[in-house]
Amino acid sequence: MTATRDRIPSPARTQGSAASTAPRASRVLDEIASRRKADVERELAGTTLHELARAAAAGPEPRDQLGRLLRPGLHLIAEIKRRSPSAGTLGDEHLDVAGRARAYAAGGASAISVLVEPHWFGGSLDDLRAARDATSLPVLAKEFVVDPRQLLLLRAAGADLVLLLAALHPRARLARLVAQARDLALEPLVEAHDERELDAAVSSGARVVGINNRNLRTLVVDPELAERLRRLVPDDLLVVAESGVRDERILRRWRAQGFDAALVGEELMRAGSDAASVRARTAALVEAGRPPSAAEDPTAADRAPFVKICGITEPRGLRAAIASGADAIGLNLVPGTKRALTEEEATKLARLCREIGGAGAGPTIVGVFADRDPAEVDAMARRIGLDAVQLSGAEAPDALDAIALPVAKVLHLSDAVGPDEAAAAVASTVERARAFQGKPNLWRLLLDTQDATVAGGTGRRVPVNVARLVARQVPVTLAGGLNPENVAEALREVPATGVDVAGGVEPLGDVVGRPAKDPFRVGLFVKRARAARTDLPTVESRPHRVDHSLVEPDPRGRWGRERQFGGRFVPETLISALLDLEAAYVELRQQPHFWAELRELGRRFVGRPTPVYRADRLAAELERRAGRDPGGLRLYVKREDLAHTGAHKINNALGQSLLTRRLGKSRVIAETGAGQHGVATATACALLDLECVVYMGAEDIKRQAPNVLRMRALGTEVREVTAGSATLKDAINEAMRDWVTNVATTHYVLGSAVGPHPYPALVRDLQRVIGDEAAAQVVAAEGRLPDVAIACVGGGSNAIGLLSRFIGEPEVRLIGVEAAGEGLTARHAAALAGGSPGVLHGSRSYLLQDADGQVQEAHSISAGLDYPGIGPQLSALYDAGRLEILSATDEEALDGVRTLTRSEGILPALEPAHAIAALGAWLAGTTLLAELPDRSVVLLGLSGRGDKDIASIADRLEAHGH
Amino acid sequence: MATDGASAIREAFAKASGERRAALIPYAVAGYPDVPTAHRVALALVDAGADLLEIGLPYSDPLADGLTLQRASGQALRNGQTLERSIEMVARVHADRPDVPLVAMGYVNQVIGGGDADSALRKLAAAGASGLILADLTPDEGADVESAAAAHGLSIIYLVTPTTPPARRRMIAERSTGFLYAVSLAGVTGARKSLPAGIGRFLKEVGAVSPVPVAVGFGVSRPEHARRLAPLADGVIVASALVDALGPDGGDVERMSALAAALRAATQR
Repeated sequence: MTATRDRIPSPARTQGSAASTAPRASRVLDEIASRRKADVERELAGTTLHELARAAAAGPEPRDQLGRLLRPGLHLIAEIKRRSPSAGTLGDEHLDVAGRARAYAAGGASAISVLVEPHWFGGSLDDLRAARDATSLPVLAKEFVVDPRQLLLLRAAGADLVLLLAALHPRARLARLVAQARDLALEPLVEAHDERELDAAVSSGARVVGINNRNLRTLVVDPELAERLRRLVPDDLLVVAESGVRDERILRRWRAQGFDAALVGEELMRAGSDAASVRARTAALVEAGRPPSAAEDPTAADRAPFVKICGITEPRGLRAAIASGADAIGLNLVPGTKRALTEEEATKLARLCREIGGAGAGPTIVGVFADRDPAEVDAMARRIGLDAVQLSGAEAPDALDAIALPVAKVLHLSDAVGPDEAAAAVASTVERARAFQGKPNLWRLLLDTQDATVAGGTGRRVPVNVARLVARQVPVTLAGGLNPENVAEALREVPATGVDVAGGVEPLGDVVGRPAKDPFRVGLFVKRARAARTDLPTVESRPHRVDHSLVEPDPRGRWGRERQFGGRFVPETLISALLDLEAAYVELRQQPHFWAELRELGRRFVGRPTPVYRADRLAAELERRAGRDPGGLRLYVKREDLAHTGAHKINNALGQSLLTRRLGKSRVIAETGAGQHGVATATACALLDLECVVYMGAEDIKRQAPNVLRMRALGTEVREVTAGSATLKDAINEAMRDWVTNVATTHYVLGSAVGPHPYPALVRDLQRVIGDEAAAQVVAAEGRLPDVAIACVGGGSNAIGLLSRFIGEPEVRLIGVEAAGEGLTARHAAALAGGSPGVLHGSRSYLLQDADGQVQEAHSISAGLDYPGIGPQLSALYDAGRLEILSATDEEALDGVRTLTRSEGILPALEPAHAIAALGAWLAGTTLLAELPDRSVVLLGLSGRGDKDIASIADRLEAHGH
Repeated sequence: MATDGASAIREAFAKASGERRAALIPYAVAGYPDVPTAHRVALALVDAGADLLEIGLPYSDPLADGLTLQRASGQALRNGQTLERSIEMVARVHADRPDVPLVAMGYVNQVIGGGDADSALRKLAAAGASGLILADLTPDEGADVESAAAAHGLSIIYLVTPTTPPARRRMIAERSTGFLYAVSLAGVTGARKSLPAGIGRFLKEVGAVSPVPVAVGFGVSRPEHARRLAPLADGVIVASALVDALGPDGGDVERMSALAAALRAATQR
């Protein structure tokens, strides 16, 4: 987007001699300010402060200014302005202010901003009144406030919020204006347009801070200013981005970056003057600010934390907690503590909670007890009408036996754990947790700090190092010292499944008497907690009950209990490129807007989320052939064949192509076996305007001709590789040679979860969407995770993509199906079943090799599995016994294609057909795996569609037809 | 324990330097075009004036090599070349020309893929090799190989390239024993018409941080290249150009010898 620096028109209504010369841009703000000062002096001459105050008090009842902004997502503050110094005339003299306000409201705007300044913007208090009367939305007065009396005038006219420009005031005066406005129930939005002003805005006492991309002195718009400054605003304020909106994309970015609202004027004023156009444009912008729905991104809810607001003491706090959508509220019944309630008070609040929340819809009502006789707790809980009980003392696991309700148990940790004590603290906490997990009515475990002198929490943070290690092993709800400012960060650092807050959502400063909640902070806490992981698919968000080395690599890219797989075995020339790639990726991995952009591309361009399809006819056919009764197997097929370009490969290709642009490189190379990764990369490069060269073995070019044509049609150069076996392995060698030579300009989009660090992790991260989606989809259908996740394995990008989500869930069996080619004793491609650890393509993993370390040629009918190696993470999982393996021969795979095609009307690629065939064999009991029990829920990864293979398999399919 | 490979290599560099020359380090592919010819090639290179000799261990996936060495390597493997035969060649060349240090060059999986690094390195050292270059091994992953090499008196020669960040260059040089292999360009092996721009500065920078002699290779093909590099490096490595000189069937030992002799003459400072 180019900076706009338009002609500056002089004020429309002029006074005296200023008419003839247009003001220089740098002085516009100062001129407007001094002009307003003069206006106010003139208009208010003869009006006493008392009269003004009385008018303000008699003004219309203020509307809920911030409630909408506290809901999830980025909200639209839609602006009405007749003209501006930067844009010139935007609406005619006969602008229908009320009609426009109604169109904004109908489109879903959360507030309406009205320009009040008359000379440069053509605004007036009449416009403000007209807009406010037309809808029930709160109205922001867009005024140049230079005199506190303007606040009274604005409130009298009905303004609910007021703009204060940090640029116009020294810090102390700004803070005074903020306080005065808030006293009037006129919520101030303090706007900054540079770092210094932002600092003043943040410390002004305002609850809403705006960052204007337009420099008010030069009128130049820098659309990235808000993005750069966002991180300087603490999360316990609402943040509004202003100016520079031209399309929905920027709103999506701002939403992911943690902005709560966007103030949009010009773009809406230019949307046309008829109500339908204005409403439609408003609705489109509002839509862009919404967090992804479960239909758009089923994975986000899977990472979202449970939120409990604890220590509710009065109805206002209760209402705020319910309005925020908190999952649970806590009523403190520990005598002698700050927020303690009597039984009677608790009973009233519980009753009110049910009234407001509605039957079965409100938060879980939790009573908090400490070291009380369990039978007494149980009786009291029944009397109050609690849903659950929290035990915050030193109760033993057996205490749960006497309580009928679900129980949350608090585990206390010292908040001063030194590095030497951390391991012991983690071990003892996990041990205690496990003891409580043995109780059937254990509901949640809370992790809190302890202090021998105070019952309950101390309000201090649990040490992150300890909390992280505990949360990786047992599901915990993090408590202690959390607040709206730090909760998101805590949830990114610690894979807790929930958060609990009490003091952090109460007013800042000393409290006299029993604390009450601050509704604003309650709302913001829940919003920040829920959004913390929305756009971070790779952040740890739950425990994984396997060794961490199977889940993530160490800093050197090594996986496995002895860190014996992975690493970086490449010519020195590539090391700096790999270090650059790693650094860029480490940063990108934590940038929500990268993932939001990728997800949006996935949604609009790829067709994600791909469906999970329950393949009953296939299941019955496999069961029938296995001699089992049909109807026992519940088989869910993850349809990556429906992704754009026909396979899962597009997930990785798009992500790495976006990364290429981030690296500042313009050329992409890739290798391809079946051609699917080549087509996906060629497609992503066409979309993102990158030069693309794909290396492909001569053998594969022959058997995958349609994909070669597709790549060329997409503008990609396909280079034939004749070296070695002229298949995927050699194409990777050749791509690496190209990369060594052109490393300065070129990014290598490796297509599988193999290669030197960070590729195996990078590709896994980009492909894990398959399993993350599938997990949520199976849970939606079955109410639980599958019993088995099964996928074909070549290099393993499809397999690790499907299986990643389940690695830490030991009750889910993970099955990889290798290509047995002509049989495991003949030519095949089964690196795990028939190989041994060694180095191939830059990392240590299982591969087919001879005693000299010479890599052996693989064989499979399926080009995508025709690879002698397998990625390091899958190697580590196999080595540790977490991944079980099956295999299918060429013939069996062909049979798998036929079975699925004929039973379900889905023509699969040869690669996933191996998984179908192997599942059939497993059902029949002809494999070495422990039997698949009846009534199992099986998730099978259908990695791609079979069009590409049709020529090479057509005659064989027909010959076997039935 | 075998003889100390690093000191043999050091002495070879010192001898060349004493004669006001850069050391000439030519390269022969074990088993290419066949076992007897490969042996003749190696002796011819020594007789043409090699100060050290590199012996390439044919590998199935030589991803740092250009077409010439890929083809030669592939040919040797098709002829049935094994690691054992390559080590035999080292032993025979060492027996016939014991004064010239031999440095094996291959890929990391050839020494760790079949098992642990120890057994391959022990055999190499026993055959009389002084050092080992593994094209896809950097010090980051080199600890195991280094300790096995040290146990058997083999030196491990690492590579630095123009893309290696300065701080890393020093680290690599300090981990190299015997000598340091300076890769002249970002790219794979293979003869080239001219030397890359900036080679002088690169070698000067590398020389300044290296405690061991620096030999330059990759793309060094012609006597004029050697002449230009001789004052800039302690040694000059020539591989693909010599294999090219053997002709399409790999048998033109005379032509290759002539090139080697010309290269040797050009290393005079």
